[in-house]
Amino acid sequence: MSEVEESLKRIQGHKGVMGTIVVNSEGIPIKTTLDNSTTVQYAGLIHNLTAKARSTVRDIDPANDLKFLRIRSRKNEIMCAPEKEFLLIVIQQDEQS
Amino acid sequence: MSHEFSDETLDPVDFKSSWKKERSVNEEGCQTKDIHTESVEIQSYEVFDQEVQTDLDGDKGYYQLSESENQDLADFLHSVEPMVMKCLANNLKSHAFDGVVNQQDAATDAVTCVHTLCNAELKEELQITGLSWNATGSTLAATYGRFDHEDWCTHRSTLCTWNLDRRAVKEDKPDTVIDSPCCLMCLEFHPVNPAWLVGGNFNGEVIVWDLSREDDLVVATSGIGNDAHREPVSKVHWIKSQSSKRREYDIISVSGDGKVLVWKVDLKKGRLKLSYGFVVMSQSLPRSMKVRGVRGDKEVGVTSISFSFDDPDLFVLGSESGCIFKCNLHASGNPAGSHIVSSVPLSSPVTFTYNPHHGPVHSVDCSNFHRNAFLSAGMDQCLRIYNMLQTQPVLTIEPDDGYLFSAKWSPVRPAVLGAVTERGNLLLYDLRGGQMIPSHKLEASPNKAPVYSLQFNHHQKKILATGDGQGYIRVFKLGSSLTSMSGKDLEVLEGMVSTGTE
Repeated sequence: MSEVEESLKRIQGHKGVMGTIVVNSEGIPIKTTLDNSTTVQYAGLIHNLTAKARSTVRDIDPANDLKFLRIRSRKNEIMCAPEKEFLLIVIQQDEQS
Repeated sequence: MSHEFSDETLDPVDFKSSWKKERSVNEEGCQTKDIHTESVEIQSYEVFDQEVQTDLDGDKGYYQLSESENQDLADFLHSVEPMVMKCLANNLKSHAFDGVVNQQDAATDAVTCVHTLCNAELKEELQITGLSWNATGSTLAATYGRFDHEDWCTHRSTLCTWNLDRRAVKEDKPDTVIDSPCCLMCLEFHPVNPAWLVGGNFNGEVIVWDLSREDDLVVATSGIGNDAHREPVSKVHWIKSQSSKRREYDIISVSGDGKVLVWKVDLKKGRLKLSYGFVVMSQSLPRSMKVRGVRGDKEVGVTSISFSFDDPDLFVLGSESGCIFKCNLHASGNPAGSHIVSSVPLSSPVTFTYNPHHGPVHSVDCSNFHRNAFLSAGMDQCLRIYNMLQTQPVLTIEPDDGYLFSAKWSPVRPAVLGAVTERGNLLLYDLRGGQMIPSHKLEASPNKAPVYSLQFNHHQKKILATGDGQGYIRVFKLGSSLTSMSGKDLEVLEGMVSTGTE
């Protein structure tokens, strides 16, 4: 098993994690643990949102950069970790629900 | 000396021309080669037509997950993993969002009245006979009239509109007022053009108005005559035109005289042209309701109409006799009796008759989500849900709140429906919970007058409007529990409609 697979498996194995998606710079999902339609929906929407958040951070201070974006919703929390080329999306189910 | 002349004959002298030569002629024959012609029959290959259409098939197949492993990806995951793992662990321990969820849930269940509109000039004398939201969902139009005429209509009726998206809505003064010499009984906005609306009046006339015009708002009218209705128009509805391929809309109107007429809008002449029509006759009534000695071609007054979302030709009619009929625009039933005069042949549209209400039906409405479900309400105080394929209703609710004047499905939640009652209440039922008890009971009339009209807003889905017997319109805002779709709803409706089919 490659390093990539191992790493994804560790994240996916964490308590409450519903899905993990890796998206490339064009917004195309390259790794996923979810079904096709859900993956495409999350990838498209979150990629746009992350790009917007990143440009906001950079507009405020050009030397700064977005490191991590967490979206807390009633049902779950979506964590987005963008780096230069990739974006990691992790969806974690809320404990109570 | 004498000279004597004597005749002299000289021999002619001839000489040959020096410059002209004798022509010599010679004959010679020549011929070109024969032209060779040949006939061959030629025909193109056999032609084969095949229609092709692409389907919008979701997003399937657009994204293929790449199989390649590369070092960049590994590096990336390596760098973000610790951060993500830390967050995941923290989230499980965090209590930051405890309790937030519960509070929000409670707040969104409520239904609130946001506006109480009226036309102050009418002094509570007229009833709201019809309500309609326009194509953008921002403007509400209402017709004022009366349902309880004893003879001629001498009321001066109006059609009023309010734009609720404006910052300052004048609740007692409409944005537009159109006067009419007799009571207007119903109206409906054009499904696409937000300025157009059609209405029907007490005299049987169907009129189309354009609110964007400056002076004369009437675009077209059916006039009064043999082709028009002979009784008050009870409902009007825009339908997709059958004949033209362009996206045009025709008008279908129903009336107490039993006629169901389809009109084409002729803008140039300012007329509504009768394109085809039907008439509902007493021969369609179930045997138990037929009275002996009454001819089979007597008309049955139609009170309400609703089209199926699934099949554009299929519609349901509610009648004054209490019967509900399933009809089709392409049906060709028995022709109308000779006592009905019309320029187009009228026939019966009825294909099926349902178990009747015990009094006039005031409202029928087809579900937007289930192709076979429809709802009816009437003077017998019953709210019924039918399956199109069965004569008996699958569910009957008796709210015990007086006559029911209108009942409608929610445009968002398949298992939610609303009804308005004689005692001035708006009832909202959620079939997912307790079926027989309304989930919300709200006063839709300030003075407890009967409420005649109910209209959900199909564009701003949180909003619905009711109109009462004193000319007051109430606009309600629904909580998110009534406006957010959930997967279970459809199953509940599906389960209910399919009960009893076995």
